[in-house]
Amino acid sequence: MSKKNNPTKNDSVLTKSVQAIAVTILVFGAITMIIPFIWSVITSLKSAENIFSHSAFWIQFPPDFSAYKQIWERIPLLLYAGNTLKVALIVSIGQLATSSLAGYAFARLKFPGRDKLFFVYIATMMIPGMVLLIPNFIVMKNLGAINTHWALILSAVGSAFGTFLMRQFFLSFPSELEDAAKLDGCNPFMFYWHILLPNSKPILTTLGLMAFQGIWNDFQWPLIVLNDPSKRTLQLGLSYLMSEYYTDWTLLMAGAIITLLPIIILFFAVQKYFVQSFKFTGLKG
Amino acid sequence: MAVEPFPQMKKKTSFAKRQRIQEAIWGYLFITPNFLIILFFTIIPVFFALYMSLTDWNILSTPNFIGLENYEKIFSDKLARETFFNTFYFTVVSVPINVFLTLLLAVLLNQKIKGITFFRTAYYLPVISASVAVSLMFMWILANNGLMNQILGSMGIEPVRWLTSPKIALNSVIGVTIWKGLGLNMIIFLAALQDIPKELLEAAAIDGANAVQKFFKITIPLLSPVIFFVTITGVIGSFQSFDLVYNMTRGGPGHSTTVIGFYIWRQAFDYLNMGYGAALAFIVFAAILVLTTLQWALRKFWVYSEA
Repeated sequence: MSKKNNPTKNDSVLTKSVQAIAVTILVFGAITMIIPFIWSVITSLKSAENIFSHSAFWIQFPPDFSAYKQIWERIPLLLYAGNTLKVALIVSIGQLATSSLAGYAFARLKFPGRDKLFFVYIATMMIPGMVLLIPNFIVMKNLGAINTHWALILSAVGSAFGTFLMRQFFLSFPSELEDAAKLDGCNPFMFYWHILLPNSKPILTTLGLMAFQGIWNDFQWPLIVLNDPSKRTLQLGLSYLMSEYYTDWTLLMAGAIITLLPIIILFFAVQKYFVQSFKFTGLKG
Repeated sequence: MAVEPFPQMKKKTSFAKRQRIQEAIWGYLFITPNFLIILFFTIIPVFFALYMSLTDWNILSTPNFIGLENYEKIFSDKLARETFFNTFYFTVVSVPINVFLTLLLAVLLNQKIKGITFFRTAYYLPVISASVAVSLMFMWILANNGLMNQILGSMGIEPVRWLTSPKIALNSVIGVTIWKGLGLNMIIFLAALQDIPKELLEAAAIDGANAVQKFFKITIPLLSPVIFFVTITGVIGSFQSFDLVYNMTRGGPGHSTTVIGFYIWRQAFDYLNMGYGAALAFIVFAAILVLTTLQWALRKFWVYSEA
């Protein structure tokens, strides 16, 4: 009896100890991931004069919120947030519109040259963004878009990746619905608008969030095309704040936290859409 | 408009043909907005960049065609050589560490661990965080009197000049890059692990395979397409890294953290050597193409395929 029971018992002891090791490593890793954020919050709540006079492990209590007040006086944070939000919203909606239309055409409509064109789309996804920075700067300059938000919007409202993502999703859309709609006299746009889009909310949310977050966090392209301080996005503003107030750590940490907060809140609100984006790309299959 | 239920036979072919043409028109119409953007801001710019790389373009004066001079200049540019070396070092250190750690974390998370949502959130937080804010956070942590050195100090270790020593700064930037990128690949690996059919692992267990054998004979081969994907995107990503370098070190101290992504920006937008910058970017593009093709060709030797 006991002999018969032993293997399973050993097995469960083994899995338990493996799990204990796994949890230990994971917890250590998670702490490493979170501490920089917590450390920034703690720093931002100290008084500037206490930053260097106390040990790093000392936490000021009661906290001093003056950095969060000061930062609004040092840089026009609201203006930068407004600029960023405006561009991010326009780009997300634009990208959703153009990518879903093109993705639908590539997935469900037949027209000459479709597959060749789609191959071109896939090929453009291989082009590193770095190669495009210099020529796109010249293109934007000739369009008169330098120093305007058009430079951030124009090049981003269409997306090969977004089209690819939407196409992969639309390919698996049941064709019975499409046939029924056709019989009812729906043209492709009516089908797209009344049936396809309302049934594609998860993928639309995912792509919209990716576009929004991409624009919100983008740094290099705005740095290149915007010089006018009143046109700056949050990331640019934060970067310039850093070069101006180099060692004012309470202020800088407050700035970092304020610019991170909207995306983090969005992330917690709709986490599953953030995390599952790659699932639609067919990478798994 | 109602569709005629029984169209006359002779009209049928022309009706079908008209429908085909209509569908094609809708197709072109739907693609046009997106395609125009891709055409004007991706396809044309690539060829434009190739042309620019053959000129002395600097915005200020009219460009002259100078043939391959920019490409020849790369070979005599000492700083470019240092930059390529830094980029190479950055890539061969950061990509394998990232792949190893993310695979390990995903395998651990896949052990029916409690609180999987918490861990996933914690590891994904740096991924969604903007690189400027991340740069700021780590500049403070890695400052000479920052958290890192105070922790080391409490253990009796001398402070390290994480971002101001030419020998260490690049490693610090690599460390932050790895920290920021773990969550993404971990989630990708985790999804792939959850897709592995349980029957395969159970069958192997019945055949007497232990955990290690199961991992190397079943899990790794089944994951190899994902490992392949993650490695390629990792290499491409590190060839283009810019934000952390710009904000944390500006390529310094000296040129110790000047990687190619930063050097191209400096040449093109600081010194306005746009032609030279375009040539450098094309070298990187070529390197990415060669590496991707090579890995693609070699993948049949190590990537398992179900076909």
